Amino acid sequence: MVLPPVAVIAVFIGFPVVAAIAYTLGRAGGPNSVVASLGQRQFIVQKGVTFDAYRDILSNPTIHRDLWATVWVTIVVTLVVVAVSWAIALYLRLTDSWLARTISALSVVPLFIPVVIASYAILVFYASDGFIKTVAYHLGFHGFPTLGYTLTCVTLGEIWVNIPFGVLMMSSGLNGVPNNLIEAARDSGATMPRVVRSILLPMNVIPTVIVATFTAIYVLGSFTVPYLTGPTAPNLLGPSMANFFNSFNQPQQAEVLAIVVFVLALGIGAVYVWANVRTGRRSGLQS
Amino acid sequence: MKRKHLGAIVVVGLAVVLAAVAATSQAATTRQAKTVTINLYASGDVNVQSLWQQYLIPGFEKQNKGIKVKLIFSEHGVNDTPTLARIGAAVKQRKWPGIDLVDAGLVTTLATDGLTQPVKKATAPNIGNVDKKLLTPVHGAAIPYRGSSVVLAYDSNNVAAPPKTLSALLQWIRAHPGKFTYNSPNTGGSGYSFAETVVDSFMTQNVLTQMQQGYAPQLESNWKQGFDLLHSLNQYVYQGVYPNGNQAVLDLLAKGQIWVAPVWSDQALTALKTKQLPASIHLTQIASPSFTGGAAYLGVLKTARNKVDVYKFVNYILSPAAQTQIINVMSGFPAIPLKLMPKAIQNKFADVSANSLRPTYAQKQQSDFKAQWQQTVP
Repeated sequence: MVLPPVAVIAVFIGFPVVAAIAYTLGRAGGPNSVVASLGQRQFIVQKGVTFDAYRDILSNPTIHRDLWATVWVTIVVTLVVVAVSWAIALYLRLTDSWLARTISALSVVPLFIPVVIASYAILVFYASDGFIKTVAYHLGFHGFPTLGYTLTCVTLGEIWVNIPFGVLMMSSGLNGVPNNLIEAARDSGATMPRVVRSILLPMNVIPTVIVATFTAIYVLGSFTVPYLTGPTAPNLLGPSMANFFNSFNQPQQAEVLAIVVFVLALGIGAVYVWANVRTGRRSGLQS
Repeated sequence: MKRKHLGAIVVVGLAVVLAAVAATSQAATTRQAKTVTINLYASGDVNVQSLWQQYLIPGFEKQNKGIKVKLIFSEHGVNDTPTLARIGAAVKQRKWPGIDLVDAGLVTTLATDGLTQPVKKATAPNIGNVDKKLLTPVHGAAIPYRGSSVVLAYDSNNVAAPPKTLSALLQWIRAHPGKFTYNSPNTGGSGYSFAETVVDSFMTQNVLTQMQQGYAPQLESNWKQGFDLLHSLNQYVYQGVYPNGNQAVLDLLAKGQIWVAPVWSDQALTALKTKQLPASIHLTQIASPSFTGGAAYLGVLKTARNKVDVYKFVNYILSPAAQTQIINVMSGFPAIPLKLMPKAIQNKFADVSANSLRPTYAQKQQSDFKAQWQQTVP
């Protein structure tokens, strides 16, 4: 029964991945022969493997800057998305006013707007003749910075794109906490902050970890937002991968970059698995 | 009982489906005998797309019933490199790559690598009118069909006397911080041309010729001085940003954010005509060296299908009627002698000719140039 899905995964995902890894290690035969016959600046060996392509990429100062930009933007976006979606979800869980409902509805809107359109809108919004700067100018704040084409603009765009998923995950997690637990704590004299800290927070760990890991992985590999709103350099690794593949005709270097991003994402994925295993073991002990 | 019915229904249903399939496939084969489809790959900015989609293709299809042209368009040429790989792999194995005719920068590479049909095998009489000098850089294996050049656009409200030479332009840029930019070379030809022109100004004619006609990675150390100069311009460029695509630079010009920029002559003239650029924007060419430009080439692939019909299409594109359309729509230069063109067009181009345009690097050299620009300039 499991054989067909496993076969599909092996053929359509496993095989290309193995071929790509072999190509980055200098093996240009078999499935890599076509790409290798046209690429430029390749490091090819007939026997064994070579790490020259990795050395070429990792010793490139432009890539260093791009890598740091990617790591920083990822960290900032992840922290902000977790904090903001926690706040919105918590507000929604604890109060049932029209304001709370409106805010939560608004926070999901970006889910329904294509990322290309959103990126362009964000760029125009923060441009030197955009809305924000115009308002600041009229308020007398003439030195307001232009955010279009900066990493700040990329960060804002990525947060905008990732908030809906965070809010949806967090509010479904918080809604799963039974009301009687909260009421019991309140009856015993616990303050609201205490309820949040001792009940809601520990019972919402898994959704928080999911939001953090998925947001981080999404930002690491994102292309559209940084391509449209970001600076020429340094920019995130997504656009730089596309540059190496399309404009520079260096497919081997592009694949090395893809593997670098994959390794980073793997590290983040490990945190997710660890958190799942830990809670799984705990609930196993309790029952 | 029900089971039996079900079986009968399935059998009847299957028979109907099979009959339908047989009928349609038969219809398809008979129709195929009548209609021929030419697959055209073109890349460039939206002006190139509209030239093909709204003028050349409908005009040709109207005259030649039974031949359809399918346009595969790649904006800013972002798919050029993968397409080159695809065509290279297919033609080397003598297979059809799904493309018959190519209009893109990669045609010169295809031609010099021997992947396109030599012009002397073409069955299109109008090719005889094309300037023979334009065939030399492509080893006689691609057909020039229009010319265009990168020029300097400036806002006449703010710039009374535009710079006339490259060194004057560089001086102007330093004297007016934030009022000049060019698009990043990997996203469009106008910014690419500016960057290459600056770098070229430091190189000897001999080195230049080698880079224009082939791939000479060992000579790339000659680029250093030019890239250093480009890097030093960062502080004077609009927000220190090189926008993505030729169009983004035109937008900045139109909004008055910048006053001077390199642009494609055809694209800028089209924008002026459609009022996307205000009338205060004027165009001029600089000297010593001038910006690059040249003919746009069509390449008929060696493994193209229906070559006779493809050449019919090429012949149509080189006819005075279609060339007039190209000039009117794109503000491009004609590829055939002016004496064959209508009088009005002849007057318009009295003092420019397509082959005086300065040629650019070969495709592979361009890829390296873009990579080094990205690493050293911004």
